Amino acid sequence: MPDFRKLAACTVALSTIWGAAAATAEEKPSIVTVVKVTGENWFTRMAEGVAAYGNDNDTVATSQIGPGKADAAQQARLIEDLVAKKVSAIAVVPMDASSLEGVLKRAAQRGIKVVTHEADSMKNTLVDIEAFENKAFGARFNEKIAECMGKSGKWTSFVGSLGSLTHVQWADGGAENAKKYPEMELVSEKNESFNDANRAYEKAREILRKYPDIKGFQGGSAIDVIGIGRAVEEAGLQDKTCVFGIGLPKDTGSYLESGAVDGISFWDPKDAGYVMNKVADMVIKGEEIKDGMDLGVPGYEKVSVKKGAGDGIIVVGEAWVDVDKSNYGKYPF
Amino acid sequence: MAFQVDRQLSFLATVNVAAIVAGAVLVGASFVELYNFQSMASQVPELGFLALGVMLAMISGNGGIDLSGIALANLSGVAAYFFLRGAISADDAPLLFTWSLIGVALGVGLVGGMLNGFLIAKVGLTPIIATLGTQLLFTGLAIVLTNGSALSIGYVEPLDDFGNATILSVPQCFALFLVVALAIGAILRFTPFGQRLLLLGNNAKAARYAGIPEKRILFLTYAVCGLLASVAGIVIAARTSSVKWDYGSSYVLIAILIAVMAGVRPEGGYGRVICVVLSATSLQMLSSLFNFMNISNFFRDLAWGVLLLVFIATSGFDFRAWFRAVRS
Repeated sequence: MPDFRKLAACTVALSTIWGAAAATAEEKPSIVTVVKVTGENWFTRMAEGVAAYGNDNDTVATSQIGPGKADAAQQARLIEDLVAKKVSAIAVVPMDASSLEGVLKRAAQRGIKVVTHEADSMKNTLVDIEAFENKAFGARFNEKIAECMGKSGKWTSFVGSLGSLTHVQWADGGAENAKKYPEMELVSEKNESFNDANRAYEKAREILRKYPDIKGFQGGSAIDVIGIGRAVEEAGLQDKTCVFGIGLPKDTGSYLESGAVDGISFWDPKDAGYVMNKVADMVIKGEEIKDGMDLGVPGYEKVSVKKGAGDGIIVVGEAWVDVDKSNYGKYPF
Repeated sequence: MAFQVDRQLSFLATVNVAAIVAGAVLVGASFVELYNFQSMASQVPELGFLALGVMLAMISGNGGIDLSGIALANLSGVAAYFFLRGAISADDAPLLFTWSLIGVALGVGLVGGMLNGFLIAKVGLTPIIATLGTQLLFTGLAIVLTNGSALSIGYVEPLDDFGNATILSVPQCFALFLVVALAIGAILRFTPFGQRLLLLGNNAKAARYAGIPEKRILFLTYAVCGLLASVAGIVIAARTSSVKWDYGSSYVLIAILIAVMAGVRPEGGYGRVICVVLSATSLQMLSSLFNFMNISNFFRDLAWGVLLLVFIATSGFDFRAWFRAVRS
């Protein structure tokens, strides 16, 4: 049967190549950054930081990858293969921290250094990097919403997914802050947008239909405000609602102009990407990260270090940026 | 019945070998070392069990499909851990905990599968509608139990071993996948149930006139699908040390892709287990190869499409011959 011959030929070819392949040499240490999903502006901007660190430091090779769909399983599979590939360090922005514990433990067992971002409950990480204290960040959003809506009325919060820990912490931080104002009523909190502007838009429309008198929206994922802004604009409620949340200036610009989104805050994902790689590099070299240290990136000049959920540490910066209609043009991303 | 090498089988075997060869050439030693094979093998079962379920559903004919697989897998894991975490201490009795977890998960899977079977065989709903409905039901239940967040199981040695340790260099979960696949293959080929299922899928009317208990067979088939889904759920729980309702939301379509690529006929009546296994491994190896080579994940979706079309094109001739044989 010719099929058998084809098979046999392949097997022979395979065995010859096997030997040849073993000769390939290992290059300089590689740090791979794994993000939640590829193609979203937030992570495209992060990739700039990852590349920048590689350019500034030619002793390491840096790169960024991420699944095409925001699915924790797909992200776990990517990391699984990196562990098999035996890269020097993995820097992860987890889709869902708890589902990665297993694979990151295997990474550690194989001598791979693990650094995370936005995952302060992660056990199997050496260093988790947070741009800021999350509860405080959520409270800041809420404070602005409260001020804008006159400290009374209905408001709601969005999260990328309920598994995205930081999003939930921002929503909770906001809710806690709102307790100061008895007139404010939180309705159907923590709507999941699954990091998809269309889902956020549909959710926001549903909420506007259900609560026509709603005044405040707090976005969680970087694209939530875009979806909310679109829904608000379509409903013609620009002046009656207050939309604040995390977002990127370029994406949100037109909604800031129209007033559908009132203000956004963010931390520069480029800096976060840079810092993650810097920290990973330091861990590879065996350098210790100390409280009050300057990591050489804006917002991370004086980081605070505390104990993590596992054996690792959590490094917290003060890297937030507030932007509204007047100054969003200053940020080219 | 002798073991046959048909076009599907040889095509899939070629893809498997080609992926390894390409890996060895393009990536180098790290791709062909034992660790990577173990790593790839242990990634197969999650999807593999689901694909076996899809295969059985497809074989049963009448537009048979199981869209609720991954939802039921997650629900099994979530429910098992939810009910056990208060009852049995994982620290004091890890072995009892693990077996209980497996038991409850299988039970949930069986009940879920029986629900699908009931809706399809007894109520007479179209499989795609019935399983779409139960998919939402299972997902909803898992969300209600957990409030939408992940439940972290933590380190439980026997469970962790099942997900990560090897037996004679073969990852335990992959070994189980092979054993289950072999069993299903044997059932399809050698038992009256298997033969009746194939006949039913081939021609439901003829099967009815031949006195084959259609409803019972459909019911059993979907119950087994549910059981397979819960095994996938146990594998997921063991490998991620956690359970969550939306894990693997992209798996529904990939599991169907694996089955179709394995040559399972969507109209029913034909499907080979060995092809499903090879289809699952080839997809995994190509996927890992792309990861090793830093190829974009968007290209991967495109590659699956191309692969599927190439497969259909190369096996087209055989299908035609088969149809002619039936008509004559």
